[in-house]
Amino acid sequence: MRIWSSEHVFSHPWDTVIKAAMRKYPNPMNPCVVGVDVVDRNLDSQGRLHSQRLLCTEWGLPSLVRAILGTSRTLTYIKEHSVVDPVEKKMVLCSTNISLTNLVSVDERLVYTPHPENPEQTVLTQEAIITVKGVSLSSYLEGLMASTISSNARKGWDAIEWIIQNSESTVS
Amino acid sequence: MNSVGEECTDMKRDYDQCFNRWFAEKFLKGAGSGDPCTELFRRYRECVQKAIKDKDIPVDGVDFMGPSKSKTESDGSS
Repeated sequence: MRIWSSEHVFSHPWDTVIKAAMRKYPNPMNPCVVGVDVVDRNLDSQGRLHSQRLLCTEWGLPSLVRAILGTSRTLTYIKEHSVVDPVEKKMVLCSTNISLTNLVSVDERLVYTPHPENPEQTVLTQEAIITVKGVSLSSYLEGLMASTISSNARKGWDAIEWIIQNSESTVS
Repeated sequence: MNSVGEECTDMKRDYDQCFNRWFAEKFLKGAGSGDPCTELFRRYRECVQKAIKDKDIPVDGVDFMGPSKSKTESDGSS
């Protein structure tokens, strides 16, 4: 098991970042996300919006790893649950893979909150727990997954910025 | 962005457009009641549920952030 975490500050107010986060796909930084569906969505009694989404991704696993894992299947489904609290100004997003679960589990948690000292900024804290199961090279694979997540996180930040830059003329 | 069910993609786009507008213009401004997109969502979700079933995607039985409540509430109604 390996735990990865990071913090990123966006130079945009929380509302702007959340709007972009909710409509993050498609973006040029995450071409591996090939499908996104909302499977359930509702408001709870506190006025928070819960969304369950299904993401279909093409994992760019190296062929060596595919050989070790004994799978040629690289289409992976991810389930994501997000909660947006418009009063407290907080968005929490948790995701986990629901295919290849016998081989690996990647659980991610992202929290978007306004910067405590500067309302014009937004803080994103994210962590991932990676567990590769029953494979002798598991620590190698966990390291590989961690570095993939690291580079994906950076792409995710860029994606939010890209959405913000490219959506101002559409919805708002 | 496509849906996992190709046949649902148009419905998804219509719904997403409706939702994004409501989310930005109403929900984040504290006027979240009265979601105008429920009918679009109902049709789109029906389509997706069918695609999930056809493709055998294991969406059920995954718990995170508490018990999974992804079952359709409309089951047994009508």
